[in-house]
Amino acid sequence: MFEITNLYKTFDNLRVLNGLTLNIRDGETKVIIGRSGVGKSVLLKHIVGVIKPDSGSIKLDGVELTELSNKDYDQVRKNIGLVFQGGALFDSLNVAENVGFFLDEFTKLSGSQKQERVAHCLSLVKLKNAEEMMPAQLSGGMRKRVSLARALCMEPKIILYDEPTTGLDPVTADAINNLIIELRDRLKVTSVVVTHDMTAAYKVADSIAMIYHGQVIADGTPEDIRHSRHPVVKQFINGEATGPIADDESMKFGHVK
Amino acid sequence: MVKVFIRKIYAQVYGFLYYAGELSILFGQTVRCLLSTPLHPYRFLWQARRVGLGSVFIASLVGLSVGMIIALQMAYMMVKLSAEIYIPNVIAVSIARELGPVLTALIVAGRIGAGITAEIGTMVVTEQIDALRAFAVDPIRYLVAPRFLALVIMLPVLTLFAVIVGIFGGFLICFFKLSISAYMYWEMVKESLVIKDIVTGLTKTVFFGMIIAIVGCYEGLHVKGGADGVGASTTLAVVRSFILIILFDCLFTFVFYFLFNA
Repeated sequence: MFEITNLYKTFDNLRVLNGLTLNIRDGETKVIIGRSGVGKSVLLKHIVGVIKPDSGSIKLDGVELTELSNKDYDQVRKNIGLVFQGGALFDSLNVAENVGFFLDEFTKLSGSQKQERVAHCLSLVKLKNAEEMMPAQLSGGMRKRVSLARALCMEPKIILYDEPTTGLDPVTADAINNLIIELRDRLKVTSVVVTHDMTAAYKVADSIAMIYHGQVIADGTPEDIRHSRHPVVKQFINGEATGPIADDESMKFGHVK
Repeated sequence: MVKVFIRKIYAQVYGFLYYAGELSILFGQTVRCLLSTPLHPYRFLWQARRVGLGSVFIASLVGLSVGMIIALQMAYMMVKLSAEIYIPNVIAVSIARELGPVLTALIVAGRIGAGITAEIGTMVVTEQIDALRAFAVDPIRYLVAPRFLALVIMLPVLTLFAVIVGIFGGFLICFFKLSISAYMYWEMVKESLVIKDIVTGLTKTVFFGMIIAIVGCYEGLHVKGGADGVGASTTLAVVRSFILIILFDCLFTFVFYFLFNA
């Protein structure tokens, strides 16, 4: 279980996380929603230890992650798969090498075993016969799916998805949503999904948290969120241009001043 | 007015010391990484190929040109003194000790150092470095160490090649323009050039290789922004490598001259 308490992070005088507190239970799919720039991706990078918080606590099963050395954190990272918003594929490696990157680095599987695992992960994200392609030859959606396959290849206990369906066609997006649900149901994977796509959020979420002004302002089941009376949550989930979010003059590109 | 001036000087000195400290930390981390974990041979060989084979033509071309230029410039003066027979000595010593190492290092800094910064900088911008960290892979072990080792090993090899081609360039001018026989030219070169000259030159290039690798990787890893940031860091890497190479060359020349009498 993840227990994130009072997390603060400021970049160049711009406070992105402002005392954020959030719990994620084992095996649940937690969807995080919020406007662009409120720090959703930053939160994921804090969980995986790529960014260190200014202050606050991130505990995984009672272990304080913010105090771990890089070497100890690496052991935690090996159980966390991160699907990056833009893919973050390694340019110099082809699709198969990207997907099998973790296997090459940390396992002693034979070539054929690796090939098999890579092919299986690519088939899960509906990408076949793309092994030899280079990242530059892929569309945005394909890159995202390769990134997801790369995370799946690690067989992680926790998967963090940064906008997994943005930019995908509806059919593929739904396939990805089904895959997230399947991973939870079959492998009991804990998932944290950052998204703007409310259809996807309602479909995959066990619980939804909304971040606003660097804090969680709502956290509950999809039904709780759907029927929330909080004006900011209502405006966001209904996608309305007018309302407290637009009126809030202390907002600048979604960040807290 | 004086206060502003002092503050500016302080800021410059502080900035330089901070930068030197940061480079030293990266250097220490890289060396520790090389000593503690075995390097992936493919990654090292790929980088060595890029540094060595990729730069051998341009290093040879510059070496050849420099050898010919020194021969012609020396001829201009030595002929007046009827001392053209000493031109091979000047060519051999100046190329082996100074011009070969420095010019090759500057070429490699411009070609490979800039490439390293642009490549790593693009990886930063596109979150590939974050992806490496998220996969529990140390970017220093994966990216910096192979480039560092490749430059430290391949720059002396390239320099040796450039020195040989440079001396041959001098031979072309001496043989065809100054009528110095081939036997005489190579005898004079052999007579003037001692092992100490070669070792002095090549020792410097090991340090130049370190400078190019560490500055290139550091600037790449600290890129901010997008394509604009990558461009700015690449320029900065080349300029800073050039300055450090020249400064260290000066330092080494002093050290070799005064301490080792070489």
